[in-house]
Amino acid sequence: MARCRGRVLLALCAALVAGGWLLAAEAQEPGAPAAGMRRRRRLQQEDGISFEYHRYPELREALVSVWLQCTAISRIYTVGRSFEGRELLVIELSDNPGIHEPGEPEFKYIGNMHGNEAVGRELLIFLAQYLCNEYQKGNETIVNLIHSTRIHIMPSLNPDGFEKAASQPGELKDWFVGRSNAQGIDLNRNFPDLDRIVYVNEKEGGPNNHLLKNLKKIVDQNAKLAPETKAVIHWIMDIPFVLSANLHGGDLVANYPYDETRSGTAHEYSSCPDDAIFQSLARAYSSFNPVMSNPNRTPCRKNDDDSSFVDGTTNGGAWYSVPGGMQDFNYLSSNCFEITVELSCEKFPPEETLQSYWEDNKNSLISYLEQIHRGVKGFVRDLQGNPIANATISVDGIDHDVTSAKDGDYWRLLAPGNYKLTASAPGYLAITKKVAVPFKPAVAVDFELESFSERKEEEKEELMEWWKMMSETLNF
Amino acid sequence: MEFLWTGSWILVLVLNSVPIQAFPKPEVSQDKSLHNRELSAERPLNEQIAEAEADKIKKTYPPESKSSESNYSSIDNLNLLRAITEKEKLEKEKQSIRSSPFGNKLNAEDVDSTKNRKLIDEYDSTKSSLDHKFQDDPDGLHQLDGTPLTAEDIVHKIATRIYEENDRGVFDKIVSKLLNLGLITESQAHTLEDEVAEALQKLISKEANNYEEALDKPTSRTEYQAGKIPEKVTPVAAIQDGFTNRENDETVSNTLTLSNGLERRTKPHSEDDFEELQYFPNFYALLTSIDSEKEAKEKETLITIMKTLIDFVKMMVKYGTISPEEGVSYLENLDEAIALQTKNKLEKNSTDSKSKLSPVPSEKSHEETDSTKEEAAKMEKEYGTLKDSTKDDNSNLGGKTDQAKGKTEAYLEAIRKNIEWLKKHNKKGNKEDYDLSKMRDFINQQADAYVEKGILDKEEAKAIKRIYSSL
Repeated sequence: MARCRGRVLLALCAALVAGGWLLAAEAQEPGAPAAGMRRRRRLQQEDGISFEYHRYPELREALVSVWLQCTAISRIYTVGRSFEGRELLVIELSDNPGIHEPGEPEFKYIGNMHGNEAVGRELLIFLAQYLCNEYQKGNETIVNLIHSTRIHIMPSLNPDGFEKAASQPGELKDWFVGRSNAQGIDLNRNFPDLDRIVYVNEKEGGPNNHLLKNLKKIVDQNAKLAPETKAVIHWIMDIPFVLSANLHGGDLVANYPYDETRSGTAHEYSSCPDDAIFQSLARAYSSFNPVMSNPNRTPCRKNDDDSSFVDGTTNGGAWYSVPGGMQDFNYLSSNCFEITVELSCEKFPPEETLQSYWEDNKNSLISYLEQIHRGVKGFVRDLQGNPIANATISVDGIDHDVTSAKDGDYWRLLAPGNYKLTASAPGYLAITKKVAVPFKPAVAVDFELESFSERKEEEKEELMEWWKMMSETLNF
Repeated sequence: MEFLWTGSWILVLVLNSVPIQAFPKPEVSQDKSLHNRELSAERPLNEQIAEAEADKIKKTYPPESKSSESNYSSIDNLNLLRAITEKEKLEKEKQSIRSSPFGNKLNAEDVDSTKNRKLIDEYDSTKSSLDHKFQDDPDGLHQLDGTPLTAEDIVHKIATRIYEENDRGVFDKIVSKLLNLGLITESQAHTLEDEVAEALQKLISKEANNYEEALDKPTSRTEYQAGKIPEKVTPVAAIQDGFTNRENDETVSNTLTLSNGLERRTKPHSEDDFEELQYFPNFYALLTSIDSEKEAKEKETLITIMKTLIDFVKMMVKYGTISPEEGVSYLENLDEAIALQTKNKLEKNSTDSKSKLSPVPSEKSHEETDSTKEEAAKMEKEYGTLKDSTKDDNSNLGGKTDQAKGKTEAYLEAIRKNIEWLKKHNKKGNKEDYDLSKMRDFINQQADAYVEKGILDKEEAKAIKRIYSSL
């Protein structure tokens, strides 16, 4: 007994010493929190997930902690800086962080694009820690996910806005304060409006994918684009993302393209060519969130029109028209399929509710991640086995093509069904293959394309052979 | 300074509640006369010198410092003294090594031949004459001037003996004899052990003091030595209160004076280090490396913390809550942690003594070792920020240090989990041991890259690198 007491006292002394040192030391916090001294409570829950709001320094710390814990499978990088100079931090989780392995699809989560929509930001921080923990525990689902996917998590695209929103005193946060970036730009209205172009092309003929070709320079020179927007556009162009989700707040629904109505009216179901798979993807998120998918749920606000909501999902245009949004930009400028998830009726709910939001959403977040391994995937190569980058993979009946990445790898998300896939590239003869696509997993289909010149050579040889045969037969 | 108050408060409590009795008191009247005599501040100088000699304390102590040292009024038994005097030689040395705390004496390390030397030449004539006197005393019961030996004298004698012989067995023999004869009880034996231990510590610290004095800055230390000694000795005396008829008030007031004195002192804090520093050689090195002018406050606080900690440990040992070995091993652990910091930060190689000490703590309690590591990293982190701090703003300390503490804890925890997982993961694979140096290199590289990109700030990167390099 005395021994135990002794040890307790010893531990107390240890704490004393540590405490004493700290009293003497002066901490230097980079990017010190804004005015409004918030007493920082460390609600240490299981496995180092602290269910509290993270300001910019804490956000950085949290990501660094995840990296430190899982150095083998994680990497932190930044896609650029916000207007006020905060890094737009991304944590990447993969079995070979920093490297695109041929055939490994790339996924991204982006949160807090509207600075005052805070739940997404926090959920993504929790998710990063959760994935690291579960991986180390040997959770098979997570281990397989991390080994087969490259997961990029950007907790906040608008850190400046968040600081503004979080600095408001009291628990009730304004509906608008902190929404836009530091320049007052609503980032989700700031992307080049490719929907407009597509709608024109639909009428007059023209592509409906990769509409940003050759426009990179234009993007850089466009003064109307916020630095955050530009950073994301470059990010999308550089990495061959396959699937993505954009986390918001203010309602509870999973929203899919198109966001902008075709006719320009306020509400109109505006389906995109991949409406079927998008519905499936959105449902993959909402169905695991008990509140979101509850058919008897009362609307967030009394007079809300949620008539377009089906099983916790909605078409963007059907709900309300959003021009210049990031979701549609992804679909129309790259191979990436993105949905918008509204996570909470309240944009900036009280800190005590964060844990319950995590509980409600963690299965959805994982389920949505797994959707990337659906449809068809494979390589496009030439006859010598060399990869053909930027080959076009089109699906018969779906007016939307994807392209192969640098290693010739491609991924085509498809709802279950029978499809004809065609791979083509300039200078090559196209090849079409029939594929039966299940719900999951993805079916592997590779293409070996013959170039025109090879074909010509072949034909020439054939001709020579025929001539030889003829001459032998006819004796000339 | 709340720690100090708590410490002194506990000290007071202990003193009030536990009168410690080490030896039986056969003759009360004689006690009283002795006691009364010793309380007088006006004792003849010669007597004091004689007492000092009899106690076998180093001669570097200025004679007048002994006046405040309290003496026991009890008489010890004949056999004990006889045993001591038979073996006793009058020796004094200038030691050049700092020996490990008494708990490790059991291992009989650090046997230095110089300890057995008889130093006759270095002392003044009065002492040598006193030596003669002492040797004439057959039963060793009396001091040089004929007064009976006090308990403290005996304790000191035993301590000196052990120190010289570097053999704890001396004590064991004596105590077993006493126990067998029924002259002391078990608890008294334990208490005697404590007293001897403390006396031994004093001896060792004095040796260490002289050594450091010779090496390091002589000015600040010698300057304060005079003032320091009476203050240091007083709590010892105060604790061994059971032997005196001193009023509790006096004890309390002495203690309070002591703590007040400690508090009021700013620069004089360095003098307190001497006795405790035997446990914290690395701490002392750390202290000296902190620039006194720039960071006097930090230095002072650090010293106070250490002092309080040592007092606590002493308290617990005295109170019997923990055994001296445990207290010592705890302090050793702490010092080890400091050693790591010093090694990393100041790039000194102080591992020699540490390697000797490490077997003992590791066997003790794993919790302590783990918490030490965590502490080490914490202190590492804080020392790093301490060094680079340019702010004098104390008002922000509260919130910021909380955050810093939380951050460091989180990072440390994360790194720990990573290492654990890597170890487990690699066991399953082909390799037995994961390559720590590769990991370190990788982390260093990544940390630098992150600093460049603005993902980590320099302090964090440094701390992380340090944590990894200390593994």
